[in-house]
Amino acid sequence: MVNCDPSIPVVRVSGFCKRYRRHVAVQGVDLTIRKGEMYGLIGPDGAGKSSLMKAIAGVLAYDGGAVEVFGVKVDSEQAAERIKHRIGFLPQGLGLNLYPELSIEENIDFFARLRLVPERDLADRKARLLAMTRLDRFRDRPMKHLSGGMKQKLGLICTLIHEPELAILDEPTTGVDPVSRRDFWAILAELLQERGMTALVSTAYMDEAARFHRLSFVSNGRVLASGTPAEIRSLVPGTVVTLLASPQIEALARLKRDFSQVETLGPLLHVFTEQQDQAEAVKRIEAGLGDIEAEQVQTDDPGLEDVFVALLVRGSPVKDTSSIPVRSSGRPQHDGLAIEARGLIRDFGSFRAVDQVSFQVKQGEIFGLLGANGAGKTTVIKMLNGILPPTAGEGWVAGADMRKAGGVIKERIGYMSQAFSLYLDLTVAENIRLFAGIYGVGRREADERLKWIVSMAGLAGYESHLTGRLPMGVRQRLALGCALVHSPHVLFLDEPTSGVDPIGRRHFWDILSRLSREQGVAILITTHYMSEAEHCDHLALMYAGRVVTGGSPGEMKRQVEQEAGHLLEVVADQPGKALVHLQRAGFHGAALFGTRIHFFCRDPVRDAECACQALASSRVTIKSVTTRPLSLEDVFVYKVMALEEQERASTSGDRV
Amino acid sequence: MNSVLGPRSQRAVIWWRRLVVMTRKEMLQLFRDIPIMLFLVYSFTLGVYIIGSGLRSQLHNASLAVYDADHSFSSRDLIHKFRAPFFRLEGEIADSQEGLRWLDRGKAMAVLEIPARFHEQLVAGEPTAVQLLVDTTNSPQGLSAAGYAARIVARFGQETALARVGSSEESSQNLPIIVSDHRVWYNPDQNETWFESISHLLRQITIFAILLPAAALVREKERGTVEQLLVSPLTPFQIMVSKVLAMTVVILCATAVGLFGIMQPVFGVPIKGSIVLFFALTALFVFTTAGMGLAAATLTRNQAQVGMMTLLVVAPMLLLSGLTAPMEVMPAWVRHLMALSPLRYFIEITHGILLKGAGLRVLGDSILAMAILGGALFGFSMWRFRRQFE
Repeated sequence: MVNCDPSIPVVRVSGFCKRYRRHVAVQGVDLTIRKGEMYGLIGPDGAGKSSLMKAIAGVLAYDGGAVEVFGVKVDSEQAAERIKHRIGFLPQGLGLNLYPELSIEENIDFFARLRLVPERDLADRKARLLAMTRLDRFRDRPMKHLSGGMKQKLGLICTLIHEPELAILDEPTTGVDPVSRRDFWAILAELLQERGMTALVSTAYMDEAARFHRLSFVSNGRVLASGTPAEIRSLVPGTVVTLLASPQIEALARLKRDFSQVETLGPLLHVFTEQQDQAEAVKRIEAGLGDIEAEQVQTDDPGLEDVFVALLVRGSPVKDTSSIPVRSSGRPQHDGLAIEARGLIRDFGSFRAVDQVSFQVKQGEIFGLLGANGAGKTTVIKMLNGILPPTAGEGWVAGADMRKAGGVIKERIGYMSQAFSLYLDLTVAENIRLFAGIYGVGRREADERLKWIVSMAGLAGYESHLTGRLPMGVRQRLALGCALVHSPHVLFLDEPTSGVDPIGRRHFWDILSRLSREQGVAILITTHYMSEAEHCDHLALMYAGRVVTGGSPGEMKRQVEQEAGHLLEVVADQPGKALVHLQRAGFHGAALFGTRIHFFCRDPVRDAECACQALASSRVTIKSVTTRPLSLEDVFVYKVMALEEQERASTSGDRV
Repeated sequence: MNSVLGPRSQRAVIWWRRLVVMTRKEMLQLFRDIPIMLFLVYSFTLGVYIIGSGLRSQLHNASLAVYDADHSFSSRDLIHKFRAPFFRLEGEIADSQEGLRWLDRGKAMAVLEIPARFHEQLVAGEPTAVQLLVDTTNSPQGLSAAGYAARIVARFGQETALARVGSSEESSQNLPIIVSDHRVWYNPDQNETWFESISHLLRQITIFAILLPAAALVREKERGTVEQLLVSPLTPFQIMVSKVLAMTVVILCATAVGLFGIMQPVFGVPIKGSIVLFFALTALFVFTTAGMGLAAATLTRNQAQVGMMTLLVVAPMLLLSGLTAPMEVMPAWVRHLMALSPLRYFIEITHGILLKGAGLRVLGDSILAMAILGGALFGFSMWRFRRQFE
C-alpha cells in the first residue's frame, strides 16, 4: 500500500523519549528494523522495552522523537489506525490477551473476526498454525487449562492470524520453561522465513540474544549497543577463561584485584579479560593468581552476556563486595548434611505433584533444583519448609525432622521467594527490623545485622527510602539480607533472580558463593535461568514430580554428550533453505538458532561432511561448521525431550 | 535482662515481640495508604456531621397542593392547619385533574381536595368528607404525611363538632373524649441528629472493621509476602491477630474523634453510661466484625474479590440489623438470620450505653452473643488460613 520497497525500513525510530510523570522511562533511542528481520530488544525489567514496543505498535503516546512504521509517522491516533491492520502485537504477560473461558479454537476465531479475516482464509491459516504449534489436538480445551508454553503459542497464533507484516512480541518467553521456549523460537523463526514477516521481540533472557538477526541492548531507558550478534561481540573484544583453582575464595579475591569481571561457576572460576590473545590472557590470569595453581584451564570467545556486562560496567563501576564480612557468627557446628529428602511424596487429590523425591545437600553446597513450571519444585520446597505436610516420605532440614519439628526448622532457615516478599510501602530499615523482630533477634543484634545488610546490599544512604522505589537488583539483595537477618545455616531461594539485570545477578551470585564458601551456608535454589544453574555445585532435574537426573553441571553435560553426541553449528548464507535441506538429509533435530543452525551428532567429523554434502547440492553456501560446547539449557532440553518421548512411547504402547 | 528469665518466659517474650512488630507493621502500612486514611478521616468527622445534620426520617417540608372548591371560611381554616415544618403549601389548583398531574410530575407530595358546600354542610351539621391524595413512592414519608393529615383533619372535625354543640371548654370535659398523651423517653426533644449520627458512626465502624483487616490480609496474598510470613516462625494466630489489633486501635481512635469531636459538641449527643464500657465493647465489636473480614479474605484471592465479598455481607448487615428500620417490623426469618449479625447486638449496646445509660447487667446477653460470634468467626478464619495454603 504505502511501500513495498525493501530498502525502506519497516520501523524507524529516532530520538524516542517517553516519560511517566517525572520518571523518564526511555531517553533518546534510535532504532531501524529492516524487512524480514527478527529484531531483539534485550534488557532487564524496567529498561524501557515495553514502552518502546507499545509506541511502535501505536498504542502508547510518547513525549519526544519520531516513530515511523511502514513509512507512516505514528504521531496521532489516526496515524496509528492506518498501520494497525498491518501489525500484530502480543503484550507482555502469559496469556493476558486471551480469554481464559474460551477454547483454543474460539480464541483464534475471535481474533480472526476482530481482524475481519475471510472465513476461507481463516480455516486454512488456523489448520496450518495449529499443526505447526502442535496445538491441534487440544483445540477444544479452554485456554485456562493450558500450560504456560501452550498459552504463549496460542497467543502467537492469535497475534498472527491476520498475517501481519510486522509482529511485535513483548517478552513472549518470560515464565515459560526452556523446552517450550525453544519450541516457541523455532516456530517463530519458521513463520518469519515462510511468510517474509518482520518481527520485533523483547526478552529478559541473555541466552536468547544470539537468536536474533540484529538486536539492541537496552538498559535504563538507553540503548547500549545495536547490531548483529557478531557486531556486538566485536564491540568488546576479549577472552573468557574458565579454570579450577583452590582455595576458590582466595583465588577469587586475587583475581578481582586485576579483572573487573570474575565470577564463580560451581567449583570453577569464570574470568573475562579484554586481552584478545588467548595464550596471553591465560598467562595474565596465572600471574594474578600468584602461587595458586590453575587447573582445567579453558579459553573461549566472550558470550553476549559478558559483552552486556562489560558495556554496563563501563557506564558505572560495580561495587566490590569482597571486603564485606559475610557473617558475624561462626560456621555451623555440624558439617554434615544440611538438607535431606527421602522418598517425598505429595498428592493433591488424585494428582501426584511430587513423586519419590530424594536428595541431599551438604553444608556449604549450592544445590540447584531445575524443572519446568509445574514440575514440583515449589511443592518440594514447601514440604521441606514445613508449610505443607507430605503425603509420604521424610526429610531433615538443619538437623530437625520436618514432620515433627516444623517450628524449629522455620527458626533455623532463611527463605527468599520469587516476589522478593518485601513490604514495598515500608522503608529499607523498617523491613529489616520487621524481619529481625519476627525471627526474635534482640535489639542490639538487630542493629548490627541492619548495618551488615546495608553494606552487603549496597544500600548506604537508602535506609529511610521506601522499598518500592528501589531498583529490582537492590530490592533483591535487600530480600536476601532479610532472609539472612537471623544468620541461618540453610537458605532456600525460590526463583530469586527474575527481572534483575545481569550486573545485579552477578553481584547476587557473588554474595551467594561467598556465603556458601566462607560460612558454610547450604543453599537450595530453584531457577529457570539455565545460565544461572551453571553457578551451582550440584543439580537435580525435576520432571513431572520426579527427580530424573542429577550431578554437577559438568557431569550432566558429559552425560548428554555421551548419550546424544556433540552439538554442531552450521552457518550458511540462506539459513531457512539450509534447514529444510538438512532436515531432509536426515538431521531431524536441526533447528534455527538466530541465523545459524544447531543439531546434535554422534560423530562430528563425519556428520559435518555429510551436512556439507547435503547442502552443496542445494546451492547453499556454507560459511562454517563448528562444534559448540553444550550449555545447560541444551542439557535440560535434551533430557526433557527424551522423557517426553519415552512417555509418549509408553502411553501409545498401553493403547496397543 | 533476658538472661535472668527462664527459657519458658524467654520464649514468651519473643512471642510478644513478634506480635508487637507485626502490629506496628500493620499500622505503618495503613498510615502510608493515603487514600484509605483520607476516607477514614472523612468518614468519622465531616461524614458524621453531614449525615447527622442532613438526614431526616420525620415528615418535613412535604409539598402540598390544594384544590379548594368551596372557598369558604371553613375550608381556609382547614388549609391553614397544614403548617410548617411538616407541610409546605405548594399552591392552589383549579381542578382535581391538575392535582393528579402534579402528583405524577412529583411537584406535590400530597393533594388536598375540599368539596364544594364544605362549609355549608359543616354548619348544617351534615356529614362531609375531604380527600387527600398522597404519593407514597417514598413510603415512609408518604405514610407519615397521610397520618399527619388524618390527625389534622380529625382534630379539625372535633373542634368543629364541639363548636357546633356550642360547648365551651368546661362542658367539653363532660364529653367522652380519650386524650392520648406521649412521654418521650431517652430522647425527649425527639432530636433526630442523635439517632442519625449514632447510626452513621456505627455504619462507619462496621465498614472499616470488616474492610481494613480483609484488605490487609488479602494484600499479603496478592503480593506474595504471606509466603515469607508462613516460612517464618510466626503462627497463623500471630499473623491474623496482629492485623485485628492494629485496625482496632485505629478504629477506636477514629470513633473517639467522631464522638468527642463532632457528635458531643455539635449535636449534643449525651453519653449517659460508662465511656470505658462503650470503648471496650466497641473493641469487642471490631474484633468480631474483623473476623468476618478475615474469613472473607481467606476465601478470596485479590482485593477486588474481597471488596465484592465484603459488600455482599456488609450491605444486608447495615440494612437489616436495625439501623434503618427496627428489627420488629422484619419477617421472622430475617430476624433469625440477623442473630448472626454482630451489628445487631452492637446497636443495642450503643443505644443502651449512650442514650439509656445501661450497664453490664442489661447488656449481658448482647455482649455474650457478640463474643461467641467473634470467637467462632476468628476460629473459622484461622482454620481457613491454614487450609488455603495446603
